[in-house]
Amino acid sequence: MNRAMRINRTAKFNIVGLLFGAGFGFVLAAANLHEYTTIHNMLSLEEADVFLLMGSAIGVSLPLLWWLERSKARTALAGPLQLSRSKPNRRHVIGGAMFGMGWAISGTCPAPALVMLASGAGLAIVTVVGLFTGLELRDIQTRRAQVTVTTGDGEQREVVSAGR
Amino acid sequence: MTAALLPDRLPWYLAGPALGLLVVGFFMMTNQPLGASGAYVETSRTLRRIPGAVSWRAFYFLGIAAGGFLAVILKEPGFVRRAGYDVLTSEADLGLSLPVAGVIIFVGAVIMGYGARLAGGCTSGHGICGTAQRSPASWTAMMSFMSAGVITTFIINRF
Repeated sequence: MNRAMRINRTAKFNIVGLLFGAGFGFVLAAANLHEYTTIHNMLSLEEADVFLLMGSAIGVSLPLLWWLERSKARTALAGPLQLSRSKPNRRHVIGGAMFGMGWAISGTCPAPALVMLASGAGLAIVTVVGLFTGLELRDIQTRRAQVTVTTGDGEQREVVSAGR
Repeated sequence: MTAALLPDRLPWYLAGPALGLLVVGFFMMTNQPLGASGAYVETSRTLRRIPGAVSWRAFYFLGIAAGGFLAVILKEPGFVRRAGYDVLTSEADLGLSLPVAGVIIFVGAVIMGYGARLAGGCTSGHGICGTAQRSPASWTAMMSFMSAGVITTFIINRF
């Protein structure tokens, strides 16, 4: 790949990233997921809306992805569609439990925290900085222990010819 | 004053499927999950110029904030909607002082960030994109954070 092609490819990833990020943030804000009370009422089991929202999002994407995988679909920018299915282990349980605790305490999760800040709620800067800190703490720990980090099925991952 | 273009709260049966389509569309473009915790990591690496950082995730990160801002503006022309953590700090509700609320939120966010990195994803990454890929690890992580979230909130509500 020559330099010009590489720049072109990077630009495409940047534009797609920006647009889909914006779509994601838009839907979160439209459904009020960036509000502390929405998450708190959900986790207090007083309101089913967020569970139904997540359920219907999975209900739409799971069968579509399954079908696309079976029909060996090609992605626009990164080769054949590759879904990842890791075996569950302790870190998914423990990490998930810690995540859930923090989710309940701060009343928001990573993407909605960013939207909360963008909505003008200044205190959300504390959440965003706290998230960067917590994520980095785990990275420092893995570097110290010199274990190779295996990315989860929910994070940016190595894909053959993926956008790097 | 122009009329609001978006309802106060888009119902789940529109927002959920829209999010599902975004997840599928994003996979079909980039072969990557529409997650958030990983985007924080790559954005912070990009800003620190760490080699191998996935720099387009910084644009994605910025996009989330921009899209959220746009929706908020369309809901409330004049940009007055900023409840955020008001429930914690306003006198009418919990009435916590700003430093106290700040410390609680910060501690929660650090635990959440550490947990997300340990588990390899968050509510969107594992909870929607991972489960939609039929990943047993993601279903496990989701069960775990849903249970922990409900239990922790139950404890918080006792106070």
